[in-house]
Amino acid sequence: MPLLDAEVKEEVARRLGTLTGPVRLVMFTQEIECEYCSETRQLVQEVADLSAHVTATVYDLVADSARADELGVDKIPAIAVIGERDYGIRFYGIPSGYEFTSLLAAMETAAAGEVDLAQATLETLSRLSTPVHMQVFVTPTCPYCPQAVVLAHKMAVASPMVQSDMISAQEFPHLAMKYQVMGVPRTVINEVTHIEGAADEPVVLEKLREALRARREEQ
Amino acid sequence: MISPEPTGGDRPVQAYDLMILGGGPAGLTAAIYAGRARVQTRVLGGTLPGGQPSRTAEVDNYPGFPDGVGGGELAQRFTAQAERFGAEIVPEMATEVDFSERPFRIRSARSQYRAGAVIVATGAVPRPLGIPGEEEFYGRGVSSCATCDGFFYQDREVVVVGGGDAAIDEALFLTKFARTVTVIHRRDTLRATEIYREQAFANPKIGFIWDSVVEEVLGDKTVTGVRVHNLKNGDTSMIRTDGVFVYIGMEPQSDLFVGQLELDPSGYVLSNARQHTNVPGVFVAGDVQDPNYRQVVIAAGTGAIAAMEAERYLGKYP
Ligand SMILES: Cc1cc2nc3c(=O)[nH]c(=O)nc-3n(C[C@H](O)[C@H](O)[C@H](O)COP(=O)(O)OP(=O)(O)OC[C@H]3O[C@@H](n4cnc5c(N)ncnc54)[C@H](O)[C@@H]3O)c2cc1C
Repeated sequence: MPLLDAEVKEEVARRLGTLTGPVRLVMFTQEIECEYCSETRQLVQEVADLSAHVTATVYDLVADSARADELGVDKIPAIAVIGERDYGIRFYGIPSGYEFTSLLAAMETAAAGEVDLAQATLETLSRLSTPVHMQVFVTPTCPYCPQAVVLAHKMAVASPMVQSDMISAQEFPHLAMKYQVMGVPRTVINEVTHIEGAADEPVVLEKLREALRARREEQ
Repeated sequence: MISPEPTGGDRPVQAYDLMILGGGPAGLTAAIYAGRARVQTRVLGGTLPGGQPSRTAEVDNYPGFPDGVGGGELAQRFTAQAERFGAEIVPEMATEVDFSERPFRIRSARSQYRAGAVIVATGAVPRPLGIPGEEEFYGRGVSSCATCDGFFYQDREVVVVGGGDAAIDEALFLTKFARTVTVIHRRDTLRATEIYREQAFANPKIGFIWDSVVEEVLGDKTVTGVRVHNLKNGDTSMIRTDGVFVYIGMEPQSDLFVGQLELDPSGYVLSNARQHTNVPGVFVAGDVQDPNYRQVVIAAGTGAIAAMEAERYLGKYP
């Protein structure tokens, strides 16, 4: 049974028809698949079938560990959305419900390879000299979440230093526990600062700067 | 006027006939009408695409859906219909407006706009309790979105504060996850519609604490309880809980318009029966101007009026 119905397929095909470059969806699963692995794999394939610009590749986290290491993928299901290069866009857990929007947005951003962020954000991102890891915890039923995910992914595209992950709280309960996630979206930057809710770009920028200051003080 | 940094100075100004501020039922209905009238329109959808219906599991009283409709699905259908008629909906928040002269000026974090007419449809946001602990534990046990966060309370105990439709509807929804749901209400009867009350009283997971207000949210890393004050007998007690869902009503989202539009003392934008504000060319629709009903069908209705009036205005003053 297809995951996307005819109506959704038509809409997705229309959106992906405007992609301005090639996109690769690199999906990781494993031999004995996790709860949402096979659905994620199916979703990736169905989406790729809707556009000539999009290709899907499926790897095994264990058997293809070299590829997983290269992309920094350490859990499944995982999707790396790759454009001209790997911008650091990751989805951990199935991008279903409201997060399907985030997947489409990520594909558009990766295809374009450029983002419409404010000048101040771009300047801060262009000066980064150390890696930044943004982890955005979501649930598929959270209408505010895609905003936080899309912004984090745009920041990843704007700087080679940034990697941004969508993380489905329900598929990775140990991470939700580790970061004390009880409400979504919750964005954790470099393990040190966190943002509750879908914050506007200036607020996220300020939290990013705070995370950078915290790291400098540590050193 | 609010002007947080950075603000859309970077980008060239974009001009539209009509700017709609808000992507909920009011703004999207206005966009459907404006699109069909071929008015060149941009919708700023803010942080909640589709508006408040996205935050509720089920809407049962919007006509045309005899079996009810998922809130998210309804919001999605409004959006698709607006897009079908050419509305450009972007997930931007207006951060600054200037309605002192035409063309009206609007800024967001990324963009600046000029518009011949504006429809304000920024809706309403949950009113906070305004008590100690609430802000501190927001996202760590305090929530105002059961559809978003209900999942984290599997087999846990939660309280819902409030007694209106939204409070009882969401209390019922939370019983899918939580072991117990305790409704804390300041009166001794629920304000909620009869059908919700029947369901709530019949649900074995739902309990009630009447005549009481929450005075403090307690916790260490996450919420552990609430301090509750009984208004009738003056007693104060501690209730153990893992989560606090706040549904004590909504406030109009009108801070942006202070000094620009006439507001009532509670912050609702004042409007006449044809959705005109005190500024010619600026119209208003939905919850941001409605202290009384706050329903999807009414927000949609006022959105349609605002769009038809805006179209007439633009016809007269292009
Ligand atoms: C839990 C819950 C359950 C409900 N259940 C029902 C029900 O069963 N039936 C019913 O009829 N009604 C129900 N309602 C009420 C109904 O959802 C609202 O009356 C209706 O959504 C109001 O529509 P609106 O367009 O005026 O505003 P909203 O839905 O509040 O939408 C406002 C929009 O404006 C945007 N916005 C805000 N500020 C800005 C800004 N500065 N710039 C740009 N955009 C901005 C927001 O992102 C949002 O898109 C419920 C509400 C809640 C919270």
